[in-house]
Amino acid sequence: MKLKALLAAVAAASLALAGCSVDRQEQSGDKPTIRIGYQSFPSGDLIIKHNGWLEEALPDYNIKWTKFDSGADVNTAFVAKELDFGGLGSSPVARGLSEPLNIPYKVAFILDVSGDNEALVARNGSGIETVADLKGKRVGTPFASTAHYSLLAALDQAGLTPNDVQLIDLQPQAALAAFERGDVDAVYIWLPTLDEARKNGHDIITSRELAEAGKPTLDLAVVSEEFAEAHPDVVDVWRQQQARALDLIHDDPQAAAEAIAAENGLTAEEVAGQLEQMVFLTPDEVASEKWLGADGKPGNLAANLQSASQFLADQNQIPAAAPLEVFEEALYVKGLPGALSR
Amino acid sequence: MSVFVDIAPEQTSVEPSPAAPQRRWRHRLRRAVLPLLSVLVFGVLWQLAAASGLWNQTFVPYPSTVWRAFIDVSTTHDGVRGYAGYLLVEHLYMTLRRVFAGVLIGVGVGVLLGLLMGSVPWVRSVLEPWLTFLRALPPLAYFFLLIIWLGIDEAPKITLLALAALPPAAVATTAAVLATPVSLVEAARALGASRAAVIRDVVIPSALPETFTGIRLAVGMAYSAVVAAELFNGLPGVGGLVKDASNYNNTPVVVVGIFCIGVSGLIIDGLLRFVERRSVPWRGKV
Repeated sequence: MKLKALLAAVAAASLALAGCSVDRQEQSGDKPTIRIGYQSFPSGDLIIKHNGWLEEALPDYNIKWTKFDSGADVNTAFVAKELDFGGLGSSPVARGLSEPLNIPYKVAFILDVSGDNEALVARNGSGIETVADLKGKRVGTPFASTAHYSLLAALDQAGLTPNDVQLIDLQPQAALAAFERGDVDAVYIWLPTLDEARKNGHDIITSRELAEAGKPTLDLAVVSEEFAEAHPDVVDVWRQQQARALDLIHDDPQAAAEAIAAENGLTAEEVAGQLEQMVFLTPDEVASEKWLGADGKPGNLAANLQSASQFLADQNQIPAAAPLEVFEEALYVKGLPGALSR
Repeated sequence: MSVFVDIAPEQTSVEPSPAAPQRRWRHRLRRAVLPLLSVLVFGVLWQLAAASGLWNQTFVPYPSTVWRAFIDVSTTHDGVRGYAGYLLVEHLYMTLRRVFAGVLIGVGVGVLLGLLMGSVPWVRSVLEPWLTFLRALPPLAYFFLLIIWLGIDEAPKITLLALAALPPAAVATTAAVLATPVSLVEAARALGASRAAVIRDVVIPSALPETFTGIRLAVGMAYSAVVAAELFNGLPGVGGLVKDASNYNNTPVVVVGIFCIGVSGLIIDGLLRFVERRSVPWRGKV
């Protein structure tokens, strides 16, 4: 008797819990679903999501937004065929397109180029003024991130090898804590934690300078090959919305900052400050030779990705760098540059 | 690592039946062959799952790929030393050192607390809610605080492992002390034993078997917190290796790390059981 009552109670509780999901995304069963993975760094993704542009432009689809904490997680989700679109850094993209992952996705948009929003900061009084001064010092950065890539590129540029410094794997928050405690002498991290570190330190090199020296890091938006082949029209609409978001960032940064702030929990002022430090291309630039390129003429982004892939191979994180053709093929340039204008 | 409590005491030669030697032989065979067989079956199923092509290599790498990853992280090859500059043994050594230090502190403090809580009722009332609170917390939840307070070197890792090991040891010891048969205590008192003598000669011996179970549980808890403890600056360390490799979607190395943690956990548990049998031979016979 008691067992039965217990079983009934468990069954009732699980039914009640199943009914009380706090997921507020509206999904109706009869429409196909587009699955988008995004991250919380300021980008067009957040503007599009907040303003419901995709839902508006694609009324015949369900849009399912899933938040990810790192590019590695986005890659994993693509391998599991759980995503159609995803936003992630150039370093994870290079890894995803190389052996052994060989993820079937294509780079369809450039969300942003890292500027002063990612930087190497040394603590005041640590005696570090140039990258070369890092020799023998402890430097914190989140491994496998774009900042990690930039740090290694900066070391390389200054004639140092990774073995000349003590690299420590620290996520931005932990890096900041270690930085303030004096456990590390410098950190290569990104906003908003970067601004906190700048209060007790000074920039040694920023990703903007590295980009000018030919080692840019970017945030890219990718689309799965399968989806792009089946629904090129949806990809077109999505690219137009991404272009619209870039226009908004350029034309009305305040509105863009408010939309992003509503999504990532910062204040609009903080986001506006971040947007200023980042480099957002115009839609025309995105489709230019320097970046994505045009239909039949993949742009220079392929070379950037190839160099990132070579870097990973040098770090022994992948067996070998993929050849340039792989990356040229992986740029989704169908209909560019015309496809971006509405 | 899980802790199996031996419910059925092992068959010993007490049985006087004539068929005993044969049964014992069969028993030994079963104990040796069945685990091996299960490992073999697992290996075959794994190979089949990988070869079926249903899943991407990133999800289910071939056993041979994992084996190669194991060789790679255990040796110096093409001028690369192990994984991230350290051999697998070195990663394991660092992890075991941390676990050992953490468990030593956690179990030491935990057993003392347990003895105190079991013998002094008001101490139990004061500490019990705190222990339950600590036990309910996933280590990841407070690890960041440890980083802020203690830095990024060994201190926060060992503290985390100690905090994970403390509650099971304390709770088991408390329960064991409370479970001391009243009749034994009263008999000792009646024979004129002092309070200290009662604790030393009656309470502790009767509580030891349960306490050992608590210690094994504590080691298990500490071991399962290893990856969390090595989340920041965990290299060298097996937990750090697993975390770093998963950052790069490097499944074979992740699997090597998992096996390494699991197998070393099994060995440690086996050692603890051995020590337990040796030091508490009266277990299950009181």
